[in-house]
Amino acid sequence: MPPDQLFQLANPLALLGWVALLAAPLAPRAAQAVAAAAIPLLLSLAYAGLVLAFWWQAPGGFGSLAEVQTLFTHPQIALAGWLHYLAFDLFLGAWAVRTARAEGIPHWTVIPCLVLTFLFGPAGLLAFAILRFTFVRKVLP
Amino acid sequence: MTATLAAPRLAAVSAPNRQLVRLTLFVALAALPLMAAHVLDDRQFQGDNIWLKPLKFHLALAVYTGTLALFAMLLPEGTFTSRRWRIYLGVVSACILAEVAWIGSAAALGTASHFNQTGLWAPLYSLMGAAAVILTSLALVMGLAFWRHRTDALMLSVALGLILTFLLTVPIAGTMSSGTGHLIGTPVTGARFPLMGWSTEVGDLRLPHFLATHALHAVPLAGLTGSRAAVWVAAAGFTGLTLWCFARALMGLPPF
Repeated sequence: MPPDQLFQLANPLALLGWVALLAAPLAPRAAQAVAAAAIPLLLSLAYAGLVLAFWWQAPGGFGSLAEVQTLFTHPQIALAGWLHYLAFDLFLGAWAVRTARAEGIPHWTVIPCLVLTFLFGPAGLLAFAILRFTFVRKVLP
Repeated sequence: MTATLAAPRLAAVSAPNRQLVRLTLFVALAALPLMAAHVLDDRQFQGDNIWLKPLKFHLALAVYTGTLALFAMLLPEGTFTSRRWRIYLGVVSACILAEVAWIGSAAALGTASHFNQTGLWAPLYSLMGAAAVILTSLALVMGLAFWRHRTDALMLSVALGLILTFLLTVPIAGTMSSGTGHLIGTPVTGARFPLMGWSTEVGDLRLPHFLATHALHAVPLAGLTGSRAAVWVAAAGFTGLTLWCFARALMGLPPF
């Protein structure tokens, strides 16, 4: 399968997970099943397949910034990197929604954190950590 | 006839062996990323997608341990609970996981697993041969346990199937691995059995290896008839068929 095709499939799939998280208060368990399990695991499966197949043929490495940049010149490895973002960001978003629900943080306040996580992963994590601290004075899991 | 025999047997099944069930599930589920790689990777090895071989091994080993897990339920409760059994099953599990890790790694790197005589792969190949004998020994060990409990035709057939799997597989696989490849004879133009991929023009040692390994499925089918005589005939017939295919392959000829 050409990498472009997989890219075109993966994006709407991840988006579906984010929609499920936005609507999570309507069906909390179903939203978690989709956004914390089904979609991240499907993306992880594609990621694992790509790394198994192409890691050994890719240039570059982890040793320096230049090596990492070279690594991502390989199309399938760049695609794997993108799937990594999609899978982990969604998994993190699902965790934020779950944690907020368990600790009584209103869902509408979590939505901006979800948008940030979707667009800029770690910035969303930071935003949720701050939100959570203001509500329940907790940072640790 | 089958139903009347199966009914008391089903009433007496033991609880599943957790080690074997876990191992079977793990080996089967670990094939999922290989399937993804199979779809995504176009590299070929000896005319097949590079990931076909590891997938076949995951399937074959999951079927092997899954069948052993099912058979184990026919032995009396508590047969596998001793410390010795748990350690032995742990060693067999380690060998099975080492085999699939080795074959999967070779595929990822685009090189041969079996018959690879380059660099570190050569000693690894010998080591994996030893691991293969250890993992096959579970069939023998369980077969002997069934032999001690051969109270009816079914138990006898499972005993013979398991013991034959070990006795036939080890020499056939050993012969294959001591050569330079699975094919014997020329010319090889690429004519092959559908699905299974064995050669239909020269000797292919993978066919008798396949038959030998599946004695543990073939012979117990005769046990379902309830007749001990049928079991002995099936065991002898299947052994003959396997050895005949082995001999044909050694002569460089296809089975028919």
